[in-house]
Amino acid sequence: MTSKHDIDTQYNDNQTRDLDMNNIKISAKKVQVYYGDAHAIKDVDVEIQDKTVTAFIGPSGCGKSTFLRSLNRMNDTIDICRVEGEILLDNENIYDKRVDPVQLRAKVGMVFQKPNPFPKSIYDNIAYGPRIHGLAKNKAELDDIVEKSLRRGAIWNEVKDRLHAPGTGLSGGQQQRLCIARAIATEPEVLLMDEPCSALDPIATAQVEELIDELRSNYSVVIVTHSMQQAARVSQKTAFFHLGNLVEYGDTGQIFTNPQDSRTESYITGRIG
Amino acid sequence: MSLLNLLLLILVVAALGYFIGRSRALKSAKGDQAALHSRPHHYGWNVAIFASLPALLVMVAFVLLQALVVPNSVLKEISPELIESTGSRSLVMTQVQTISNGLEAAVENGLIAEENIATLDVQTADVRALIQEAGVVLGADVNAEMLESAKTLKDRVKKWSFIRNILIVVISLAGLIYAIIRTNKDFRARNVVENSIIALLVAAASIAIFTTIGIVLSMTFETLRFFELYPASQYFFGTQWAANFRGGSALGVLPLLWGTLYISLIALAVAVPIGLFAAIYLSEYASPLMRSVAKPTLEVLAGIPTIVYGLFALTTFGPFLLGLFGKGGALGVEWMADGRSVLTAGIVMGIMLIPFVSSLSDDIINSVPQAMRDGSYGLGATQSETVRQVILPAALPGVVGAILLAASRAIGETMIVVMGAGATAAIFYESPDRFINPFEIMTTITTRIVAQLTGDGAFNSPETLVAFALGLTLFCLTLMLNVYALYIVRKYQERYV
Repeated sequence: MTSKHDIDTQYNDNQTRDLDMNNIKISAKKVQVYYGDAHAIKDVDVEIQDKTVTAFIGPSGCGKSTFLRSLNRMNDTIDICRVEGEILLDNENIYDKRVDPVQLRAKVGMVFQKPNPFPKSIYDNIAYGPRIHGLAKNKAELDDIVEKSLRRGAIWNEVKDRLHAPGTGLSGGQQQRLCIARAIATEPEVLLMDEPCSALDPIATAQVEELIDELRSNYSVVIVTHSMQQAARVSQKTAFFHLGNLVEYGDTGQIFTNPQDSRTESYITGRIG
Repeated sequence: MSLLNLLLLILVVAALGYFIGRSRALKSAKGDQAALHSRPHHYGWNVAIFASLPALLVMVAFVLLQALVVPNSVLKEISPELIESTGSRSLVMTQVQTISNGLEAAVENGLIAEENIATLDVQTADVRALIQEAGVVLGADVNAEMLESAKTLKDRVKKWSFIRNILIVVISLAGLIYAIIRTNKDFRARNVVENSIIALLVAAASIAIFTTIGIVLSMTFETLRFFELYPASQYFFGTQWAANFRGGSALGVLPLLWGTLYISLIALAVAVPIGLFAAIYLSEYASPLMRSVAKPTLEVLAGIPTIVYGLFALTTFGPFLLGLFGKGGALGVEWMADGRSVLTAGIVMGIMLIPFVSSLSDDIINSVPQAMRDGSYGLGATQSETVRQVILPAALPGVVGAILLAASRAIGETMIVVMGAGATAAIFYESPDRFINPFEIMTTITTRIVAQLTGDGAFNSPETLVAFALGLTLFCLTLMLNVYALYIVRKYQERYV
């Protein structure tokens, strides 16, 4: 608990500096998302800070994953999905016509609920993004990127001897860390994680959470989670979604200890959800 | 009683048994369904199965036995002279059988009384006319011995049928009674019904398997006969195909094999890229509306009979190619002498195969999990990069399977080749141009099988028996392809997904 207290204090310091340093990474204004006729996200305003872990919590179907997917335009792949409003990444609207969603997704990486390694070797899984975006000039550089990413994904020691074995042969927790390493390899600025631990056992979850905490030094991490303990453990900022509305957004410590909205309180104390 | 009536009788007994079994089970549980081991209808089915299944099995066995034994017993009594004068034993037997059927029909139509048949005589009555009036046409006049044999045959069939009817009715009733006696609330009728369903499914599967084995065996025996008449080495390594029904044929398989592979290769070169690209478009790019229209339209191609494709090759596509590559053609080259060519048949066959490749590949590409696509898009890959580097590798085993299935179809295709590529085998010995040039006429194994079997030839010359050797060759070829397809699928299935 002391460490959490430290984080909170540290966080408050950060926040005071925010205003002058303006380290807001993503800023969403009046975002609406529709699936066909269904209004999935209503009027969401949120500012996500750089080098911070932001957790989205809320009951199933509250729209937190939908909102997450609209941050890197993954919703574009769904035909009936429509997004309105503004989402600014470094003060540039990502839904602007001039923005190429493919380039955007290279900048805003994503890790999914279920580990989804490609049916390729571990090496090729990691090298996939760098190859597509031409990040390595030669084989040696690519090897270097692969090793660096796997190290940052905290899985290097487990796979260094079998880089050319299929990625699908790893265990669930290893696969998820491989997917995180794969997302890191393209050097994104923001990392979106959609319930990254929901398919993992407690040990693998702990490993991934530790990893998320380390990633904070380089990236802005947004994580959707069903586990409130997880949100409390890994995040500095928490947003609570309910029925498509962003009910409350603030410091994690504050949300969990002193929520302002009665719905937030009901949810974190287990009365709704 | 005819076979059909007997069948109906068994079904009636079975239906009756169903209701008896059901009500008896309920009665034994005093109307309380929950006290029964199985559901009431299981008891009904149990009785119905016992009343019908053994009887039906015996019926099938009896009919087969009768068809084997009875005509043979009559044939044994026919004098050698008659066989000599008619030509062969099977010919005599066919005639005797026709007369016997005719007599039967005559009795049924009331043209002659049953008891008068015994005294029927060729001298005193026109048997042929009588039979004809009953609707059975006879090729030649009836001679005395044949008529007597036909009478014997008719009598024996009648006797056997009588025994058969009694036997089957007894078996059916015995089954009925046995099952009814066993029916009480503790009897495990559900297990019996479940086992009968398994037996039914096993029977269906084994019929398919045994038929395949039977076909292969019969082809093998005929092929062995062929190799007694024609040296195997000349068949397998002969470079000339010149079948001649007067004898002295050259029956080398190599030119035909070459033609088959060449035409199939061109067909696949057309079908695989087009079909695969169409599948990728349909599953990855097309809107749902487009897909719902385009996919069935493409699949219509698969429903067109190949003879229609052959017609297209002969009347439209062949002349079109001739107009391009022929003498005085649009390209000013003189490569083609005839509308029929390897290229004509190959391309038209390729068009025929497009829906096979596209439809199967489309299903397979669709079954690649969405998570793979999301993963790739999430890393900033474009759609085509995703298709090329993630989806196609993941779908590879299925796509290879689709391609090999298409290849099997190409190798087995006949009509398009007959009409599009001609009937002359590749010629190896004149000049290389004669078998490499895709604008030349060439033919395949399948068309030669048809050609060798049509006509009057008896199955005792190498020219006709070669058809079986060709058939077996073809079978082995497609079998190898299928085994290879399985191997590919197995090998990659572990690595992918």
